[in-house]
Amino acid sequence: MRAPAGAGQRHFSMDFIELLEQSAPMVWLREGGSLWGYPAILFAHTLGLGTVAGVSTAIGLRFLGFGRKIPLPSLQPLFSLMWAAFALTAASGLILLIADASNKLASAVFYVKMLFVILALLCVVRLKSAAAMPADPVSGSNGRLWALGALFCWAAAITGGRLMAYLGPIG
Amino acid sequence: MNPMNLNLPHLHLLLNHIPTVGTVIALGLLATALARKSDALARAALELFYGVALLTLPAYVTGLATARILVDIPEVSAEAMARHHDAALIGSVLMLITGGLAWLALWQSRQGGGHKSGTTWSVLVFAALTLATMGGAASLGGEIRHPEMLVGDPTTGDIGPAWLRAASIQALVTDYVWLWPGLEALHFVGLAVLFGVIVVVNARLLGLMPAVSYAALHRLLPWGALALGLNVVSGMLFMIATPEQYADNISFHAKLVLLVLAGANLLYLTTSDGPFRAGPHQPVPAMAKAMAVSAILLWAGVMYFGRMLPFIGGAF
Repeated sequence: MRAPAGAGQRHFSMDFIELLEQSAPMVWLREGGSLWGYPAILFAHTLGLGTVAGVSTAIGLRFLGFGRKIPLPSLQPLFSLMWAAFALTAASGLILLIADASNKLASAVFYVKMLFVILALLCVVRLKSAAAMPADPVSGSNGRLWALGALFCWAAAITGGRLMAYLGPIG
Repeated sequence: MNPMNLNLPHLHLLLNHIPTVGTVIALGLLATALARKSDALARAALELFYGVALLTLPAYVTGLATARILVDIPEVSAEAMARHHDAALIGSVLMLITGGLAWLALWQSRQGGGHKSGTTWSVLVFAALTLATMGGAASLGGEIRHPEMLVGDPTTGDIGPAWLRAASIQALVTDYVWLWPGLEALHFVGLAVLFGVIVVVNARLLGLMPAVSYAALHRLLPWGALALGLNVVSGMLFMIATPEQYADNISFHAKLVLLVLAGANLLYLTTSDGPFRAGPHQPVPAMAKAMAVSAILLWAGVMYFGRMLPFIGGAF
């Protein structure tokens, strides 16, 4: 008798996740009780997401017609700042994920949140090129839709992240 | 228990004079400014209103902490405290609206064209309403420990509309289970919008976008102020629903102190001449740079101590 093809693989990945989750650094992070552990990572994640989503919003507002005296091409340095803040958010998010992997990976909200993060990043990339080469230097009309998209997707991603604390694993 | 708790009722007795006395002074200044048509005097009055509104927050929080201590003293009437709380809540809401309108008037005058009379007059109206309510709240507060000042029975008669009473707000947040998570999501979206605007505006002062004039970025500030207003509302709803999580929480006290300082910093960004010297490719005065660094640190600190409510303060 042979086991179904997928079964062994699934077992391996679950074992691997558990191994990471129960590794000494992750146990310390969760149970060490230090402010430099889990709370610090949580703050880094908040600071990072606040910067990425917030700066996106500010740039989005410019595309939606507020602050028309701000020249669009001069916004470029803000995108570098956002990538740096996103790196902080992603790194801290990865640690938070590993520390509680079996719960988070079983939560539908987590995948919805990640989908919105990817969509939001896509909108930001399009905003960056719209800011670099605006169709109309004042209105930046070619970025308006991406601005709305970024605003909506970041708000959805943040809401999803918050709800993960309340909505448990699937079924 | 934290030894700091012993000082909170004292602090409340000190801070609770600010919303009434401060509003009287600012109202007098603003009336004089309107009579003399003095822009400088009007600006001073509006700045004072904004500052008084900021300090109303710690006055309110120390009040919650005081109530939690007094509730154990048998001769203190819980009904008298509830009535004082309800009056103070309406007064605080009106004071915060007054402060928000004062901020808007200051921002508008910086956008050019001097003080918009519509906004300035609405500040005057809301300040008068605040004063009437806060005066009532103050006398109801006095009656809690000074029954000799009593006129009539303190335990009868409701204060204000039913939906704006602390007990109804508490019941609302408890009855609708989705309300708390929903408000949290809103609080986080607000945090992001506020912090994003702060980062962008201050990035210019720190040299990140030298081609943009500070005046152009100043146009974005109302979005940050709007997000701040939303977060004060959602934050107050959390606090009224579960005062035991916040009133004695050392992390929340730190957050409030930093919030007042960050609020003062926002006033600098809104009205001061310093940052406006930064035209396209113009140098930024050292003072404006220092204020930009403090803006980012203060708002990050507000977020830090908010996030640390469960860890440093032991809430939830």
